Amino acid sequence: MEIIRELYQYREMISNLVKKDLRGRYKGSVFGFLWTFINPLLQLCVYTMVFSVILRAGIDKYYLFLFVALIPWIFFSTSVNVGSNIIIQEKNLVTKIYFPREVLPVALVTSNFVNMLYSFIIVLAAVVLLGNNVNFVAWIFLPLIMAVEFVFTLGCTLLFSAITVYFRDMQHILGIVTMAWQFLTPVMYSVDMVPEELIPYFMANPMTSIIIAFRDVLYYGSFPEISILFIPFSESVILLVFGEVVFHRLQRGFAEEL
Amino acid sequence: MNAIEVKNISKKFKVYIDKSSSLKEKILFKKRNYHEDKIVLQHISFNIEKGESVGLIGVNGCGKSTMLKLIAKIIFPNEGTIATHGRVSSLIELGAGFHPDMTGRENIYTNASIFGLSHSQIEKKMDAIINFSELGDAIDQPVRTYSSGMYMRLAFSVAIHVDADILLVDEILAVGDLAFQEKCLQRMREIREEGTTIVIVSHALGQIESICNRTIWLKDGTIQMDGLPEDVHRKYLQAIGM
Repeated sequence: MEIIRELYQYREMISNLVKKDLRGRYKGSVFGFLWTFINPLLQLCVYTMVFSVILRAGIDKYYLFLFVALIPWIFFSTSVNVGSNIIIQEKNLVTKIYFPREVLPVALVTSNFVNMLYSFIIVLAAVVLLGNNVNFVAWIFLPLIMAVEFVFTLGCTLLFSAITVYFRDMQHILGIVTMAWQFLTPVMYSVDMVPEELIPYFMANPMTSIIIAFRDVLYYGSFPEISILFIPFSESVILLVFGEVVFHRLQRGFAEEL
Repeated sequence: MNAIEVKNISKKFKVYIDKSSSLKEKILFKKRNYHEDKIVLQHISFNIEKGESVGLIGVNGCGKSTMLKLIAKIIFPNEGTIATHGRVSSLIELGAGFHPDMTGRENIYTNASIFGLSHSQIEKKMDAIINFSELGDAIDQPVRTYSSGMYMRLAFSVAIHVDADILLVDEILAVGDLAFQEKCLQRMREIREEGTTIVIVSHALGQIESICNRTIWLKDGTIQMDGLPEDVHRKYLQAIGM
């Protein structure tokens, strides 16, 4: 509880780090901040070409099917991968000055989250222009789904960023784990293709429910099932609390370990 | 009322012969993971009252900087507890978090936010910080173009304007020209009068005498003497043979 009050006090530091990250990302490039939009747009073009001309999947408008799930997935995997290294990267600050260490993972996840929100401008435009099932009313669920994903991502990032300080292999392991995780989450395929007996295992993965919910709203134009969102939400909250407890214990040794 | 309460703390560092931190190295070179514990501080207790200003002295390696980092909550003790009451601002490393490509003004924002100030608090202090730093128009130049003296002045100006309840200073007044040093000392006397608790680590005993009303002398990780600066300094100088 104390940490929430402290993070609020350090809100200016968080917002500074977020701004610096978002601006710094494409600094020095000709298009600059526009890359935030060009990037997802180009991705969509590539998928459209590959999957409607060369690799014909059995799913109608597969490129859109993939796109609406991939953007949220990229938010998750980038946050966890980059985030696991964040404490080491900010070594200069951590060893020299006091601030709640949670500021670093929180700022990183927030900046990736904001980046995803920008990408969603392209996603929503693509859904409206190219989609078969556009349901604006269902869109009101988007903030809810995103919030669940944010909590889950933050929990993972807190946990892994703290562990990586003591165990540097973690970041390389995570690279592979998130790749495998992507294949084990119905990002590139539909959950209907998963064998019946494996479904319970798939549903134990909060990202499965989150991706399904995004796809329900954006691709199928239907309301997500609140019941399948409730479970990942509870799991995410538990993970976040667990992640913070671990982080809080491990952060005591950060300055010495670095 | 106590601003800082240090109760029976001990701190040891692991000194690795050859440190390995990846799994492969941990398994392959098991032998290399042997480390020795170096005890830096043992069973230290003291209280610092609100408004007191205290100098920490001792020869190199006596644990005084470690003590300051413990109070600043950058590192944590192996035993014992440290309680601080109020906002702590540390001048342990000047300009931590400065970004060379950003202007002085932008760095003031970043740096002050690391001390936990809100946007409006920073806005309010901006002019005072710029004035104190004497940087003038250079404030809108990137920090990488600064001389080390300018860099130091900017960093010091930010840290001193944080309105901390407890200010921790580590050996930083050694830099900068004499006029600015005197200005910093003057400013520290002012914030002392305002009721800020100050802890200074320094080898410049004169500086401590001009600010502090108490000196703690650390020797080999324990408190050797604790009292009025003049008394402690005299004994200290005798002990190190000067």
